Amino acid sequence: MIKLEHISKSFGRHQVLNNIDLKVSKGEVVVILGPSGSGKTTLLRCVNYLEKPSGGEISIGEFKLDCRHARKKDIHQLRQKTAMVFQQYNLFRHKTALENVMEGLLIVKKLPKEAAREKSIALLEKVGLGAKLDAYPSQLSGGQQQRVGIARALALEPEVILFDEPTSALDPELVGEVLEVIRKIAKEGITMIVVTHEMGFARDVANHVVFMDGGVIVEEGTPSEVFNHPREERTKQFLKRITPELNYSI
Amino acid sequence: MKLDPSFIWTAFVQILSAIPTTLYITVVSVLAGFVIGIVVALIRIYRTPGLYPLAVGYVTFIRGTPMLTHLLLIYFGLPMIIDGLAVQFGWSFRSVSIPMIGFAYIAFSITAGAYMSEVVRSGLLAVDRGQIEAAHSIGMSTPQALRRIVFPQALAASLPNLSNSVIGMLHGSTLAFTVSVVDINAQAQIVASTNWKFFEAYLAAALIFWGLTFLIERATALIEKRINLYNRGGVA
Ligand SMILES: Nc1ncnc2c1ncn2[C@@H]1O[C@H](COP(=O)(O)OP(=O)(O)OP(=O)(O)O)[C@@H](O)[C@H]1O
Ligand SMILES: [Mg+2]
Repeated sequence: MIKLEHISKSFGRHQVLNNIDLKVSKGEVVVILGPSGSGKTTLLRCVNYLEKPSGGEISIGEFKLDCRHARKKDIHQLRQKTAMVFQQYNLFRHKTALENVMEGLLIVKKLPKEAAREKSIALLEKVGLGAKLDAYPSQLSGGQQQRVGIARALALEPEVILFDEPTSALDPELVGEVLEVIRKIAKEGITMIVVTHEMGFARDVANHVVFMDGGVIVEEGTPSEVFNHPREERTKQFLKRITPELNYSI
Repeated sequence: MKLDPSFIWTAFVQILSAIPTTLYITVVSVLAGFVIGIVVALIRIYRTPGLYPLAVGYVTFIRGTPMLTHLLLIYFGLPMIIDGLAVQFGWSFRSVSIPMIGFAYIAFSITAGAYMSEVVRSGLLAVDRGQIEAAHSIGMSTPQALRRIVFPQALAASLPNLSNSVIGMLHGSTLAFTVSVVDINAQAQIVASTNWKFFEAYLAAALIFWGLTFLIERATALIEKRINLYNRGGVA
């Protein structure tokens, strides 16, 4: 289980996250919604320690990290237990698809080359890129790049994968293939926290939906609770704006 | 005085023996300068406390003064320091046992370090932040991320500027004649001193420099082709 307790983050005087508490059970898919600037990206980055939280605690299973007194070793451990899929893919540009996936296995997990290779090929086949092993990122479409990014994250067998708007940089016709892959791995019981504006996907795949605004969690619950019976005014307004068709169906 | 084409060839052959000296100075100053450049660039990018102002001071001073001045300052200043220390600590070593070319190595390495730190720095800054973040996100340490992800891309990005630095140092190495090192240019002067056919001798030297520069440019193009393979798609 992953537990975030009292996570706060300020950039200078600007407080972006204010005392966030969140629990994610093993195998659960949590979708985070919220307007631009509400702190969704920052929250994910804090969990991966790409951003140092100003305060709070992150626990993953037995492992616990107090953000105020985190040592290098703790941060390293936390990063091994979490993996990030970036909005802009951030594939290593000078490495092929296969090398991108192998990198963490070789350098961080210290797997022998042959084993790393085999595992990486299997993962790339799983995301439908068995034919693109030797392609460089510049030779791949956005959707293909993002699927490599997902394979790279999966390779490390993290406790949780963090997705930050994984499809929002994609052309509309490429969104489906990436969501399909995410759906597939969600079914395998991999724990994930997903920031997305894809409401259909959120309804289908999420076990738990969190609505954030202004650096706090305004409301959370099952998809049907949050989407069909939102309690908070701010949630209602947000949903109305983002899914205008809801006005007709109600 | 008339041009003596045959002496161009004679001089050319006689100057060849000085090529190694010029290449030594160039290679030593470029390699040492590259190492200094990487260290200084990292200090500047990470704003290492204490070292940051030193790094900035070094780069602005060296870039703000001529290369010949660096050589003269080292040539006259270093012996004072070394001999002063030697007396104080009772070493037997004295500065007279430093070969002349040693002063050129030291001075030009310092020169190259400042210029190359700018090259390295702009190369590092050309690498997208997302690259090092992705490396961190899969659990790589900062040194691992720099070595495996950032440096190779920075090197590719700065290759044209690095090549220019090498050419700059090759041409700049001619200044070593001021401390009696016999490089290509000095050799040309020596060759011509018996018959005063300086124009022919310097023309021969020019051809040799041109040839060397051409080789550096070809080599750069080859390396560029190899390591920029990943840019084939031409995206971004
Ligand atoms: N490095 C930074 N320095 C200063 N302010 C920052 C930094 N990163 C984010 N912020 C601020 O923090 C706030 C939250 O940003 P964040 O990127 O987490 O929002 P978001 O919910 O992901 O928004 P979006 O939906 O647009 O991606 C914003 O006001 C942003 O300007
Ligand atoms: Mg965001």
